[in-house]
Amino acid sequence: MGAPSGGGGFTTAMVFPGMGPVPFRDIGRFMVANPFARELVAVADDVLGYSLVDSLREDPGDYTEAAQVAFFVNCLACARWAEADLGVTPDVVTGPSFGEKAVLAYTGVLELPDAVRLTADIARCLDEYFAEEHTDVVTLSFVRAPMAKIEPIFAELTERGEWHEISCYVDDGFFMVSIAESEVEWLAARVRGIGGMPLYTMRPPMHASLFRGLRDKAEREVVSRYRFADPSLPVVADQDGSLLHTGEQLRTMLLDGFDHPMNWPSVTDALRDSGVRRLCVAGPDSLFGRVPCAAERFDVVAAQPRLAMTPRRRVLAA
Amino acid sequence: MWNDDFEDLVRGFLPFLPDTEDLAPEADLKELGLDSLNAVHLLSVLENAYRVRFDDSALSMETFRTAGMLWSTVERTLDHAAR
Repeated sequence: MGAPSGGGGFTTAMVFPGMGPVPFRDIGRFMVANPFARELVAVADDVLGYSLVDSLREDPGDYTEAAQVAFFVNCLACARWAEADLGVTPDVVTGPSFGEKAVLAYTGVLELPDAVRLTADIARCLDEYFAEEHTDVVTLSFVRAPMAKIEPIFAELTERGEWHEISCYVDDGFFMVSIAESEVEWLAARVRGIGGMPLYTMRPPMHASLFRGLRDKAEREVVSRYRFADPSLPVVADQDGSLLHTGEQLRTMLLDGFDHPMNWPSVTDALRDSGVRRLCVAGPDSLFGRVPCAAERFDVVAAQPRLAMTPRRRVLAA
Repeated sequence: MWNDDFEDLVRGFLPFLPDTEDLAPEADLKELGLDSLNAVHLLSVLENAYRVRFDDSALSMETFRTAGMLWSTVERTLDHAAR
């Protein structure tokens, strides 16, 4: 691994966003009508042995196996659509959090059917692990909490012996923190006390050193079954912004995703330093392309399913 | 009822509310397109526009559930600031 060299000649990054809840109404039509999505959905159906679209329609859970595979497929379809219809030609790729899986498929590190299978199997691993382990841990996100003001609050938690860890550095003053569910109310109140705003609580939690067992389980039961080829384009790691060139490095990035925090500002800093000025955020993103560290420093192309389904004149973007 | 400035500011964050349609106090802002990131942005816009800081109890997504709830929070905050 190594940091991108300053002004490294990159111009456009393909970004696969982290996953959030996506209502069926936002993606259903895209999955059956968009030619890129339809082709990928057919591959996913073959691998899964059931209809992805039917499963999504019938089970509205935000993070079911089908929801995770659908998010993955839709991100890839949006990327292909952006290349074909918007003329996006990336020279570097990244994928914060869940987006790592789409990076693997997009850069050819895994063949598409393998990447679908890996996504589904990791979803199963998560379900099994968190059904038994750390059943009281959730991840709370909040904004408007500058580091200088939030650190003393974390210190108080430490003094009281309450485990907590930053799982996601989303932007300046925007964090996702993993913590016992019984402490969420206390932390949310303290965040409000410094002028911050709690947003939502997520379960399953992710990206914390406490989940080493999940990393080991995923490596043993899923990741070890695949050979990771070298990526067709350089990849920026979502944990620290380092530039990756080999399949082995991407395998490590995927495993680190279980027990290391995601750091989006480090990724956007690295992209900016390497010359990137345009981000194509491919998929149903409600966060990564919109926070200031991305939106205020890059020309962001939001290649969303909704946009792909809007009739428009073919345009070319350099 | 709220003033025109408030409605103009809020409408700017509601992509699914047509210009020709009234903004009802009980309208669900999420249904009209206000997601959590835009709620945070709207909070800053309102604080700057009215030169106030929302107090602890208002710093919650619940404040942004309906236009009516949001306006009552602004009114209450202005009221406190005037004392």
